Amino acid sequence: MVSTTRTRTSGFSARDLSAPWRHVDGVLVVAVVVVATMGSFMVYSATRHTPANSDLIYRHVGFVAMGAILMAGVSLIDYRRVTDWWQVIYGVSLVLLLGVLTPLGTTINGTSGWYRFGPVSLQPAELAKIGTIIAVAAYLGAADRVDLRRLGVSLVMLGIPLGITVMQPDLGSALVFVAIALGMLVVGGVRLKHLIILVILGVLGLAALLSSGALDEYQRDRLTSFVTPSGQSYNVTQAQTAISSGGLTGYGYGEGPQTRGGFVPVQESDFIFTVAGEEWGFVGAGILVAALGVIVWRTWRAAQLAPDRTGTLICVGIMSMFLFHIFENIGMTLGLMPVTGIPLPLVSYGGSSVLASFVAIGLVQSVHMHRFS
Amino acid sequence: MDTDSNQIRLGVIGIIALSLFLALFGRLWFLQGIERQEFEAASVSNRLRVLHTEGPRGRILDINGRVLVDNRTQIVVALDREPLRESVSGLDENDADDAAEIRAELSEGFTDMAIALSSYGIPTSEEDIWENYIDKRYAPQEPVPIAEDVPVEVEQYFAERRFELPGVVVERRTVREYPYGPLAAHLIGYVGEINDKELLERGVPVPGSDEEPSSTTTIPDESSKPYLPGDSIGKTGVESAYEEALRGTPGQRTIEVNAQGELLDVVSEQAPERGDDVWLTIDLDLQKKTEDALAARVDSLRGNVDKDGRPTDAPQGSAVVTDPMTGEVRAMASYPTYDPSDIVNGIPSGLWDYFQSPESGFPLNNWAMQGTYAPGSTFKPFTAMAGMRTGFLYPGHESYPDSGTYELQNCESDKCEFQNAGGVAHGTVDIPRSLTVSSDVFYYWVSEGLWLNKDTYGETAIADSAESFGMGSKTGIELPGEHPGRIPTPERRREAYAANPEVFVTEKWFTGDNLNTGIGQGDVLSTPLQLANAYATIANGGAVMRPHVAFQTSRSIDATKPPGQEGNYEVTGTIEPEELSRVEFTPEQHQKIVSGLVGVTQNGSGTAAEPWQNNPTAWPMAGKTGTAEVSGKADTSVFAGWGPVAEGLTPQYTVAVFIPESGFGADVAAPLAFEILAPASRGELTPVCPVREPERSECETKHAKALERAQRDFVEAAAAAEAEGEGEGANG
Repeated sequence: MVSTTRTRTSGFSARDLSAPWRHVDGVLVVAVVVVATMGSFMVYSATRHTPANSDLIYRHVGFVAMGAILMAGVSLIDYRRVTDWWQVIYGVSLVLLLGVLTPLGTTINGTSGWYRFGPVSLQPAELAKIGTIIAVAAYLGAADRVDLRRLGVSLVMLGIPLGITVMQPDLGSALVFVAIALGMLVVGGVRLKHLIILVILGVLGLAALLSSGALDEYQRDRLTSFVTPSGQSYNVTQAQTAISSGGLTGYGYGEGPQTRGGFVPVQESDFIFTVAGEEWGFVGAGILVAALGVIVWRTWRAAQLAPDRTGTLICVGIMSMFLFHIFENIGMTLGLMPVTGIPLPLVSYGGSSVLASFVAIGLVQSVHMHRFS
Repeated sequence: MDTDSNQIRLGVIGIIALSLFLALFGRLWFLQGIERQEFEAASVSNRLRVLHTEGPRGRILDINGRVLVDNRTQIVVALDREPLRESVSGLDENDADDAAEIRAELSEGFTDMAIALSSYGIPTSEEDIWENYIDKRYAPQEPVPIAEDVPVEVEQYFAERRFELPGVVVERRTVREYPYGPLAAHLIGYVGEINDKELLERGVPVPGSDEEPSSTTTIPDESSKPYLPGDSIGKTGVESAYEEALRGTPGQRTIEVNAQGELLDVVSEQAPERGDDVWLTIDLDLQKKTEDALAARVDSLRGNVDKDGRPTDAPQGSAVVTDPMTGEVRAMASYPTYDPSDIVNGIPSGLWDYFQSPESGFPLNNWAMQGTYAPGSTFKPFTAMAGMRTGFLYPGHESYPDSGTYELQNCESDKCEFQNAGGVAHGTVDIPRSLTVSSDVFYYWVSEGLWLNKDTYGETAIADSAESFGMGSKTGIELPGEHPGRIPTPERRREAYAANPEVFVTEKWFTGDNLNTGIGQGDVLSTPLQLANAYATIANGGAVMRPHVAFQTSRSIDATKPPGQEGNYEVTGTIEPEELSRVEFTPEQHQKIVSGLVGVTQNGSGTAAEPWQNNPTAWPMAGKTGTAEVSGKADTSVFAGWGPVAEGLTPQYTVAVFIPESGFGADVAAPLAFEILAPASRGELTPVCPVREPERSECETKHAKALERAQRDFVEAAAAAEAEGEGEGANG
């Protein structure tokens, strides 16, 4: 055992009931395996018919393997050792996030959100979400109460990455920060009165931002297109057509006509859920949603069982992040939500997203495993 | 903040999470469980494309199975402007400056194209291709044909340079082919691209049209030969009348495509099928003779003047030959004519303008059924029949002393004296003689008598008689565009006046009107086909037959053999002779009319005796000349008749000839009618051969050999007969 903070040592270490490895959340592990496996099959089905994308599946599986190792590693580290370094983690996150706005960053589809290293590209927003969660959890968790000062500081801590992602502009990620903020502040103990004022100020601020000249036209268009989805209807129609025609049991793996014919745009990432809907029907898509639900549930449970406020807040932040990703991503393919480019955790193709999701689950596992340490 | 509050807040978050997941499940079930069918249809229409290929049209054969209209494949070089527009996007070709810029941009490619085409013997310039590029008659996404009917080498040339010359597309399309050239062009009609009106009539929605498809016709899905925009359809003649039989069954190929429109899979395939072949009642040899004789006659008239110095311009002419017993049309000629192979790809606008101009003589019109003329004296048999049927003429009261002029008994207007043509006196004429010598005075007497006794005979005795023979209404031939002609009556004059008072002088019907009607003048109008059919009714003893030009449809058994070859076709439909009505007359009444008409050619005093003597048919003929006056112009020359007319012989041919602005019936129309029927009556029609080599030479050689053989047989038979005669003589 690597733990150095053993408090109640007696007898063999193998019999140490507080040993972290004894408290691995097996249900969470199974859910993650189910989701990631289904996701890999889905990415393959979505990419196999396009010669240009034929190598994506290998990269995806590679990222999943790397992510799994990272998850295991992170879960073994006591989350308190991680939060000790929150200032550094937060600082690095911000630097990486800011860096993409410089010439070092790469612009894809109008969004400056990537670093490119040869064939691999890194999306720092995905990692910054986790960095910010760790930092805010550590900062708010250090005190019992959230007074106005702490509220203000944590708002600034959340607001900076949010602002940067708006500038990229990456509206999806910006909204994730809003969701994280709401979840962490609510559970962190912000007074209801403050929360309401905050929401009102947020709405006013957004309105001011849109009407002022601070944003370029294309940035404003991206923000407003979320609520006025013109030009998105083709994608959504194709996605809903794919899912709905799958019916109860689907066309069978590799047989979905919409998937086979490549009718759903960016199917391997943003619209990956359509593969499950079309080829596996309500049964398969339902299992996928349920497995994702289990991940969220176990994260919520870890938050409840956490021995301290920091652990709770880490889990709540991650839960909010996952919840928003899942609901927005699946919701837009089902026509429930407006369209914005945001991946489905552990399923969508995309190295940064896959790695960040596994790290986040590793953190949840760490809180769960180390609750008796 | 206490722990309880923390737990409550966490609980709230949990409930929110749970509800969001339930929302996802609910929506998923709604889409996959409830809305499924709707989206499944969307998925199908996304990926499945139904490609429609027109089947080849059936062929048109003559009565002996000779192919009159065939199909052939044509290679067309066309300009697809879509890829070209991309290279000049942002420029407006309607703006002069922009247009110049576009042209400069595209000029190089156009020049290359023009040089290539010219090198294959299709003279083309960059200018020509530019004109095609800006041609507004074609939809933007529709390729504009640049060169039609190009050799196969051109197709290969452009196929190899697909990427160097964007916008050039080479297509293959099936067009009509006419082995006998312009022969029977009006009868056959032509094929063209289906227009919006025709699509709507067939219940096919037209893209970009506000009009709803007609609901009274069949829904396209129910038709086995549905149409799509761009398909071909028969526009006139047999092509239109027998469209349903001739049209091929379109093939359908259902393919699965991906989002880029690339083929993934062929789901189902149904090959197109050829349409049925249509057999005409036309005898090509007789048709050829009729057309040639008509054209020669008209050409010989033009540039001359008649006896009164009026130019015989003969702007048109037509002749119809039918079988009086069945109504089958054996030949139908209209002059001037056109070459249908000039318009297999549609009528070029320049040619269309010419066809619509008077100097062309409107060659697209089939004057034999669309032209209407005063029938003149050919109308007299109907007036005679009116006189007999009413009882005005009866044995003992059926001759009149013809002094050359007729004085009205009851004169109401300023014109009280009517004359024979040239004022000739014919002496005492009875019914047969009145027809043989064509006495106007006799018919003035009958016409006035009928009018003066209208209380007894009715106002419309003459019209009723003529109409019972089918005059004044469409004959019901299956060809589209037939004109009904016109028979005037007092009632119709009143109606016409009431509708357009400013056009007509009076609404009153005078005795003189009855006189004019009685001799086929005044307001009487008839089509050549109508008159032929009315004479067929006299010839066959009173049956008004529906004329028709086709007698059966068939399908080839072996596509590689000629469609008309004995045993190589199965009949899919027949068109039976149809008796529309019968004319009531007694055998005596009929006999008087017939003997008068036989006299026209057989009696020395007959109006057509001399031309018949000059060119006699193998058997005696009955007929009637007509010379209809048209104010200020040369007379319309008319002849109608039939033959053979003799005891024991069945009438075989009815003929009607009309040539306006040409002269006397006896001088123009009657000789033309005998010229046509004389060889036909003897079975000596020259066999017609296809216009194209090598078929032409093969056909001519075959006929020459047959003729040689027949002559040899004749000589041998004669020699044998002679030898036998000598033998007999020796024996005797």
